[in-house]
Amino acid sequence: MSTTTPPRERPRQTAGRAAPAKTPAGNGRRGQRWLAWIFLAPTILGMGLFTLIPIVASVILAFFRWDIISAPTFVGFDNFSEVVQDPTVRVSFLNTIIFVVVAVVLQLGIALALAVMVQEKMPDWLRVFFRSAFFFPLILSAASVSIFMRYLFNEQFGVVNWFLSLVGIPAVPWLTTPGGSATVVILVYVWQNFGFSFLLFIGGLASIPVETYEAASIDGATGWRKHLHVTLPLLSPTTLVASVMAIISALQVFDQPYVLTRGGPGDSTRTAVMVIFESAFQRLEFGQASAIGVLLTLIIMAITAAQFRLSKRFVFYQ
Amino acid sequence: MTGAFNGPLREFSRRTALGALGAGIIGATVASWPRLSGTDIPGRGDNSLSIAIMGTAADAAARQRAIDAFTRLHPEIRVKVQAIQAVDWKDFFTKILTMVAAGTPPDVVYVATEGAQLFAEKLAHPLDEYVRRDASDMVEFFNDVHPSLVEAFMYKGSLYQLPLDWNAANMYYNTTAFAQAGLERPADDWTHIDFRNSLAAMRKARTADFTPYYWTNRLFGGVVPWLYANDTSFLKETRSTGGDWLWDSFYANDPSRSLRSGGYQWLEPNADDDRVFESFDYLRGLVKDGLGVRPEEGGGSSLVGLFASNRIGTTPAGGYWVQGLHEAGMGGNNFDVQFFPRWKTQRHQFGTAGYAIMKTAKDKDAAWEWIKFSSSREAMELIFPSPITTPARRSMVNEQLYAGKGPAHWKTFYETLDRFPTTGPIPAPPQQAAVETALMKNVSLTVSGDESQLKQALASMQRDLELALRRQS
Repeated sequence: MSTTTPPRERPRQTAGRAAPAKTPAGNGRRGQRWLAWIFLAPTILGMGLFTLIPIVASVILAFFRWDIISAPTFVGFDNFSEVVQDPTVRVSFLNTIIFVVVAVVLQLGIALALAVMVQEKMPDWLRVFFRSAFFFPLILSAASVSIFMRYLFNEQFGVVNWFLSLVGIPAVPWLTTPGGSATVVILVYVWQNFGFSFLLFIGGLASIPVETYEAASIDGATGWRKHLHVTLPLLSPTTLVASVMAIISALQVFDQPYVLTRGGPGDSTRTAVMVIFESAFQRLEFGQASAIGVLLTLIIMAITAAQFRLSKRFVFYQ
Repeated sequence: MTGAFNGPLREFSRRTALGALGAGIIGATVASWPRLSGTDIPGRGDNSLSIAIMGTAADAAARQRAIDAFTRLHPEIRVKVQAIQAVDWKDFFTKILTMVAAGTPPDVVYVATEGAQLFAEKLAHPLDEYVRRDASDMVEFFNDVHPSLVEAFMYKGSLYQLPLDWNAANMYYNTTAFAQAGLERPADDWTHIDFRNSLAAMRKARTADFTPYYWTNRLFGGVVPWLYANDTSFLKETRSTGGDWLWDSFYANDPSRSLRSGGYQWLEPNADDDRVFESFDYLRGLVKDGLGVRPEEGGGSSLVGLFASNRIGTTPAGGYWVQGLHEAGMGGNNFDVQFFPRWKTQRHQFGTAGYAIMKTAKDKDAAWEWIKFSSSREAMELIFPSPITTPARRSMVNEQLYAGKGPAHWKTFYETLDRFPTTGPIPAPPQQAAVETALMKNVSLTVSGDESQLKQALASMQRDLELALRRQS
């Protein structure tokens, strides 16, 4: 450093921060900042009012006994210990996990298979048709779909059993046996939700460069091997996103089992969110419902964290 | 042409667009403020008597004639009816409780047996003082109403509601299906064996697309009538002391006076009772032999259509079904009703409903005036002009109500109470929601497997009921 170079004067600071220069450009930025806050305000307000405050309230409520009518009483960890010991809650969590595993595997498997099929071997007009058709169930109300499905799967008068009877299969007690009802709940859920994963996979497939397939072909890869060694690895980021979203959604399943089977027969289709609803709005045990909600949230967070941690091994970015 | 459009469009700046958007948002907010703030809810923000009923806006409108008649009598009391849509009574009570939590409870609520003790325990104001005060006015009502219905609204010695309508679980049968099977009208004292034989005959006559016995999985009309007929229940039934003030005043000369109490109590589970097992085993046999459908989860919304299209032979239901069958195209001779089959007893199950005054009601005296008026013959005829239910007043269950609609033996409805005075209400303690869940979730399992599964399901029901009753006791 030359000795003739004058020492650089440090800018004056006010309370440890550089004073902003009062320039027309600075005023513009400030104006833009205000505009940004104005646009963000509804979302921040909504998030605060309808997400953050309920979350905090729910965590607090988990330590109280409250039936809406009487004043809440502090019970410490009693709600958590009661919930953990409650066989119905335990079964519902087990059901939820089984449901998540089966439904998510089916949902992603079907979505991926159909996405590959539609993306590869379809004329454009048919591709557009299938994209719309597969996405269509997602925009329907889960409750109305479930009511409709109840009629379809009715053992005595349902259309499904009528079709089965045409090929000599006796009436299946779809909604009145544990196995049958669980099957129907999963089928209806997967039918209604695979369209979302399907669209994600379509997007993912479109982003895979054609050159990669051409290179694989030159290396002698045939159709199935191409998918195994090119499509699946390059689709892994999409698969990660699709699986995270599918798992979170499946962990919160409520409408289909509630309307189709009311959790029965027995507890065979009772899910964690159903138990939260029943505790809070049918039995008026808001503290216990909150405790179950907190546990479910912790499980969702743990699973999601595990997915992202595992993804480091299995997800490949181009 | 294009230029004409482009000119003004170019002048439509971003600032103008944002301004228009802002003005639009403010305008929409102002316009919808009554909805956003809830001030459009009937009775909110003024001193009207706010009355909540389960139903649609059309149901609320149907009460308007009664409101008009009431207003003529009491011009000083403004009444507003709020119809709350709900899947079932449990759902309706949840919505009322939510209104309570929100600090906007109605003053008066139409409550069925399912919620009577929940309201009596936590929300409702007893009617005792009013009934005593206006005893001379009330004599005529109690003379016309069976004491079993009144007793269903007694709780720990106090009266909380006046029964306005009710329904017993009688047995409806399809006369066409009976005729095809060569069956006559069953005897009044037919037994559960006779009933099973009738189902078998119908099954033999029609092998396909037909269910001899259709039943649903719920507190009313599901398994409970069979338990009552077998002189048991899934909850131990006891009675409170007290209530003599009412029975001695209004039913002193009633032949069933000695049976009356301060109200029903269901304090302990009873699913491990041998007769409960026996009753479930009977139903399991019907299902196994293809005579009865497995009970559908939830209600029986499809039932009217199936019955009206001759695909169901028998089903338990109350007088509320007559109008529905009529509207579904059934003639008065196409169906009929008989008492529920006898087993150890021929005790029936019933449910009733009436208005309850909320503890938080702004003006309880006005609320009582509405209840008293609603129990009058004039008001009940305005509210129940057709057989959508069974009126609590015996004098209203008459030829005129069922004319052109049937059934031929409509007298069965009210005679159920007269012939079987021990006939009891739906077992609904204050923890009804938890109890109903415990019952419903195990019923399907009891009837869809073998005997060991039945025992397991009843053990599970016993455990769930214990938990349900203990939790909120």
